[in-house]
Amino acid sequence: MVKPSFSDEIANLLHASHGNPLITCIQCGTCSGTCPAVDYMDHTPRRIIGMIRANLKDEVLNSNTFWYCASCYHCTVRCPAQIDIAETMYALKRYSIWKRVHQEGLVGPTFSETFVKTILRSGRSFEPILATSYLFSAGVRELIQEGVTATKMMLKGRLPMLPPRIKRLDNFKRMVSRVIPLEAE
Amino acid sequence: MTEKVGVYICHCGSNIAGVVDVEEVAKWAGENLEGVAVSREYKFMCSSLGQELIEDDIKNEGLTRVVVAACSPHLHERTFRRACANAGLNPYLCHMASIREQVSWVVEDNEVATEKAKAMIAGAVNRVQLHEELEPSLVPVNPNTLVVGGGIAGIQASLELADAGYPVYLVEREPSIGGHMAQFDKTFPTLDCAACILTPKMSDVGAHPNINLLSYSEVEEVSGYVGNFSVRIKKKAKYVDEELCTGCGICIEKCPKKVIDDVFEAGMGYRKSIYRPFPQAVPNIPVIDTVSCTYFETGKCKACEIFCPTEAIDFEQQDSYLDIDVGNIILATGYDLFDCKTIPQYGYGRLANVFTSLEFERMCNASGPTEGKIVLRDGVTEPESVAIIHCVGSRDENYNRYCSAICCMSSLKFGHLVVEKTDAEVFSCYIDMRTNQKGYEEFYERLLEEGMNFVRGKVAEVTDAFRLPGEEGKLIVQVEDTLLGIQRRIPVDMVILMAALEPRADAREVGLQFGIACSMEGWFTERHPKLDPVATMTDGIFIAGAAQGPKDIPAVVAQGAAAAARVQGMITKGTVEIEPVVATITEEMCSGCRICNTLCPFNAIEYLEDKEVSYINTALCKGCGTCVAACPAQAISGAHYSNEQIFAEIEGLLYDVISGNGAKAPQVEQEPVPA
Repeated sequence: MVKPSFSDEIANLLHASHGNPLITCIQCGTCSGTCPAVDYMDHTPRRIIGMIRANLKDEVLNSNTFWYCASCYHCTVRCPAQIDIAETMYALKRYSIWKRVHQEGLVGPTFSETFVKTILRSGRSFEPILATSYLFSAGVRELIQEGVTATKMMLKGRLPMLPPRIKRLDNFKRMVSRVIPLEAE
Repeated sequence: MTEKVGVYICHCGSNIAGVVDVEEVAKWAGENLEGVAVSREYKFMCSSLGQELIEDDIKNEGLTRVVVAACSPHLHERTFRRACANAGLNPYLCHMASIREQVSWVVEDNEVATEKAKAMIAGAVNRVQLHEELEPSLVPVNPNTLVVGGGIAGIQASLELADAGYPVYLVEREPSIGGHMAQFDKTFPTLDCAACILTPKMSDVGAHPNINLLSYSEVEEVSGYVGNFSVRIKKKAKYVDEELCTGCGICIEKCPKKVIDDVFEAGMGYRKSIYRPFPQAVPNIPVIDTVSCTYFETGKCKACEIFCPTEAIDFEQQDSYLDIDVGNIILATGYDLFDCKTIPQYGYGRLANVFTSLEFERMCNASGPTEGKIVLRDGVTEPESVAIIHCVGSRDENYNRYCSAICCMSSLKFGHLVVEKTDAEVFSCYIDMRTNQKGYEEFYERLLEEGMNFVRGKVAEVTDAFRLPGEEGKLIVQVEDTLLGIQRRIPVDMVILMAALEPRADAREVGLQFGIACSMEGWFTERHPKLDPVATMTDGIFIAGAAQGPKDIPAVVAQGAAAAARVQGMITKGTVEIEPVVATITEEMCSGCRICNTLCPFNAIEYLEDKEVSYINTALCKGCGTCVAACPAQAISGAHYSNEQIFAEIEGLLYDVISGNGAKAPQVEQEPVPA
């Protein structure tokens, strides 16, 4: 069997999304014109779609574009080709994590990984652990600053002290393992 | 059976032979099918040599039936029927099996395709032996023509026909002919003034002895068939006597009521309650708009009546109806403009200085609301910068998928007008620049030289929310310059939205009224997209202009002339052949229940009171078979589609299941359905 190209792999990841395939993109730039985070991206979303179609795997995986996507879905709403661009950004995030290739110094990958791990451990998100685990990678100053905010919230009862757990966690883990390939912890 | 059937299998180059084993099929048909006397395959049956093959066999072998297995009967049925007729065989004793469209183009597996071709030929051979000799009937063609729509397409078609000496009824919904073209200022790419080239044609129409111009009128009812249509036209009350009115315009001058003109001035200007859309209107007769007229509101005023020198104002006038007989009908009903409010991010209707293309056309027009001056909504300020946004509602799955064809060129025209009349800088935000007709690319180059800025990217939004220096008080056009790969915010004073062309809102109802089809979007469907662009599937009904799809003035005029030429051909020939494939009622079996009368979509069935049976007018019948299926007494039979013929065909198609005919369908291994 022929090894699927990078653009095939991304197309497969988007198979179940409601949008049209990336090959129908007319490169009009509505997504990039709409994007509120485009100033921070090294490539515009339109360009990323073009790069996927050109099979520029390394360049795409080393781009920060999809990690800066704020998932506002504005591009998806406006896209004249009805491509689900925000979903494409998610697909690239997943792919990037699986392949363990991403740009150095980004918060996104660590955050995503920690988030998924927290969910898998207890079935619920728990901010005190989630925030500290990725803020370490961001630096001490941010950690202290966030710590102050977190303490204030905790005193007002807006942040739980103990991690919440769901019932029948095993069932949940088995369910998730059908969707995401989990590694043995 | 005693019929001698000839079977001819076409290779169609490699179209059929590339998939279907034609030699095998021909051999099989000759050996296995009952009644087959000759079975041949040939490279191109539609070539003159292929046709001669059939003719020679009819003469030499004494064939009494012919089956041609080739393309769809839509394409070559006439060819092969003619070949049979040439050899002295009734053309309706020939039948086609569509083994290209229904087999080789759609079946991937060669073996399966070959078997399917065999089944289809077996069906055709079975049914053709039961065919009856039919004779087409001839009906005369009425030389009058109805043209619906008085835009440039309808005007062109009417003039062509009238100049050739044939009477034309031109029906226009608005008070004046001229259509959208009358609203424009300049026309691309030569920049000649629209009015200067249009108004001479309009006055030709008004003065032509062969044209009966029915303005402010609508088609109410259509019945009949090719060559003999009866049409009822509703002439809306103008409240002005057309015989007495001299078009002096005093009534318009004296009318005290001013209202916004949403139609001709696109909401940019005013008109009076008694009005004609523009000074060069044809006919030059004003109409009273009863919705806004003070007299119709309050019962007082009558200023127009008081001042009219010829006493032409008639407040008592009623809608009247005119019944006419015509032989052919040309539909040139034009287009509607896309409603730009549907796209909220472009701000039309919310941000004052966002204009539609039609509003800008009116603004540029010397006789328009600003007398040709390009100014902002306040009516005085000249813009310092203008952005033109392409593809507003076109090429967008959320609105219209198609390209509206004219916007690239008219945006270049707008760019030129802005540069010519103001000192403003112009930005054109396009996805693809489409300038693919004679002289169009040169016009694009001219605008590049004139300094118009081209930004390749579809505009994401137009906003007045400023955040960078220089943006305050401006409209900000946010767009990705896709050639640079950066997001740009372009501050401008004026934005022009190049709105898409859309089918008329009532296109589907009009299509239904005239018995023609619309595409998914609502454009009228032509008989063939390439080779028969102005005819429709209904004989005698032709289409022209933007009602068939977005197109520019040269293309519209060409279509108008083409439709007129087709109509002239029909009139000159004088008679038209009516297909004999129609339904007939066996009077002895008819119980007079009248179920069929109301079901017939062509109103072809009438009830004979004296005999107490129903009767089918064969000239109106299209052979659709609705009545045949509905008749509870099976008293109606459709020629060419009798029960016997259809059952015989089905038995042929199922030859391998019914057995007794030798060959067996191959066992195809099906892919297991994934769990």
